[in-house]
Amino acid sequence: MRWSKAGVGLAAVALYFALAVSGAAPEQHLTVYTSQTNYSLPVLDHGGKSYVSVTDLLLPLGATKPILKGKEWKFALNKAEVRLTEGKEKATIGGKQVELGGKVLVENGRVMLPMDTVLPLLGRLLNTTVDFHQPAMRVFVGNTFTRFTADFKNGDQPSLVLNFSQPVKPDANHEEKRGVLTNTDKTTLLFTKDPLVSDLKTQQYGDGVIQSLSFSEENGAALLTVSGNKLLQVVRSDDGKTITLQAQAPEVSAVPPPVWPSVPSTETQKRPLEFFVMIDPSHGGTDKGASFGGKLVEKDITLRLARDLRKELEERGIAVRLLRESDVDLSLDRRAEITNEQRAGIYVALHAGRPGKGVRVYAPLLTNPQQPLAGRFLPWESAQSGAISRSQTVARAVSDELRKKGLTVTSLGMPLRPLNNIAAPAIAVELAPDEEDPQSLESQKRHNNVAAAIALGIVQIRSQMEGRP
Amino acid sequence: MIPRHFQITVALVLLAILISGVIIIHMTHKEEALTLQAAEAAPVAPIVGGRQEHIQLLLAYDEDQALRWRSADVFLPADRNLRARETLRSVLAQYLQMPSPHPLAKGTDIKDVYFINDDTMIVDTTAAFADGHPSGILLEELTLASLIETLTANVPGISKIKFLVDGKERETLAGHADLMSFYQTAVVHELAKEFE
Repeated sequence: MRWSKAGVGLAAVALYFALAVSGAAPEQHLTVYTSQTNYSLPVLDHGGKSYVSVTDLLLPLGATKPILKGKEWKFALNKAEVRLTEGKEKATIGGKQVELGGKVLVENGRVMLPMDTVLPLLGRLLNTTVDFHQPAMRVFVGNTFTRFTADFKNGDQPSLVLNFSQPVKPDANHEEKRGVLTNTDKTTLLFTKDPLVSDLKTQQYGDGVIQSLSFSEENGAALLTVSGNKLLQVVRSDDGKTITLQAQAPEVSAVPPPVWPSVPSTETQKRPLEFFVMIDPSHGGTDKGASFGGKLVEKDITLRLARDLRKELEERGIAVRLLRESDVDLSLDRRAEITNEQRAGIYVALHAGRPGKGVRVYAPLLTNPQQPLAGRFLPWESAQSGAISRSQTVARAVSDELRKKGLTVTSLGMPLRPLNNIAAPAIAVELAPDEEDPQSLESQKRHNNVAAAIALGIVQIRSQMEGRP
Repeated sequence: MIPRHFQITVALVLLAILISGVIIIHMTHKEEALTLQAAEAAPVAPIVGGRQEHIQLLLAYDEDQALRWRSADVFLPADRNLRARETLRSVLAQYLQMPSPHPLAKGTDIKDVYFINDDTMIVDTTAAFADGHPSGILLEELTLASLIETLTANVPGISKIKFLVDGKERETLAGHADLMSFYQTAVVHELAKEFE
């Protein structure tokens, strides 16, 4: 059966009105963005006040599971303890009493807190900045923001090019989820998983095909709305760092909603997961790693090198995530969990250490290789077993590029944590002080050389790593 | 009236008693200090007897980033557990001397060694072994490879080894080398070859 355009339009309008008349309020969500992960949790209404589950909020940030003692629930995060008592309006966070502005509720065994408490709670527990866009229900931990610039090009086929500071991926089927209609007047891009922020409210471009761009935030998401007088085609490129909106070509203009993501559509269908490199600046917080005299410690060197590597990879069009952006504690197991949960394409741990000179590249070495016990499950200690040959390929490619830069390179297989717990191809790169001069570990030139070589090595073997579990 | 010579004799006797007392107190303190010093220097476990053997130790040399076989004369008991412990201690003794090819922290020692089955051994180390170990991938792996290879060369039949620190599991030796897993000696043998 073929539906006419008018029929589709009528059905859509009917659905819209059905939703409006039924008064079904859209489900509310709070979204938390961190450098390691982004996640959403439901916001529930209790007596006109918005509540969130403390477990859902804190567990992804590395908190311990709640322990119930009488009516008191205890959590710990970053060595600070949270004590909440059912029915009370005060909580103890890191030894200090905090007003909650509402009672602690327990619903189906889950501790619920008023949403107003999210900022003071996270602010006291996390050793980093926390921004809470409360009306929009969006929480930003650390400097995790993604920003964008808009470039309007007028001409025969006007287009609007949006360039993002990080790769973005608008929700694929947001029209269905939110009951919002996309029509010839408006194209709305919904970003739930990207920490997109902007000072822009509305930018006008005249009264042609593309008339204006506006940015807004609501219900744990950011929205970019482009108004115009034609149906727009949405093209995502540069690994998600660029989105172009332009009028559809006449031969395809009859096909209604934009296909998402549309470039390169056939390839994207084959690989639903976006390829990205997870960089792990090893150590951090109380774990200083190796000391090189004075204030020079491994945790600072690895973070600097991680930032340099991110820059080099992004310049080569490869998406990157850092496991830590600041001087925070992160356990080895948590590093592996985050990498596995986010399905990293490649994991690169950065280290600095004595003795010797140059750079050492390590591939994982399983101390006790085991076959899967049943089905797909692997013991945690040998989670790497399915990816070890690809890890060796990455290590070889990176070593080759480092040698091309004239660096002294040693390649080894080593039983390292958390490499053996990572399910993706994983390597560790260790910078050694040249001629036993610790200051050489701080050399920007050396960092640039090493970061560029690692990035080039990854570019070489990227095609072999994409689309694999 | 007391004769003068009697007064002098009594005074001399009292003086002699006083001097003897001071000397005795001084000697007692000295002896206590020596005993305490000896106790601190003593190994964690009692010294064991055994037959002196000429054994091979695989030692780490930081300067060369290498492992090299060296021979040593060590008293090794017949009991398998004690033999394993003394073998490991003979490696650590090389690292604790000055100058050291691979310096480890003072207090580094093997507390206990036991088999959980015929081929799987647990090595319990002192807290200083991990707490004071220099941090670095290579430094940590050289220590473990040196201990495991020396052990398997001198105590046959071990195929898996796990390290504890002060009776407890620890994630890593000093931030890098895995201490949670059981090390298969065959895997470590291949790793050690890379450094020999």
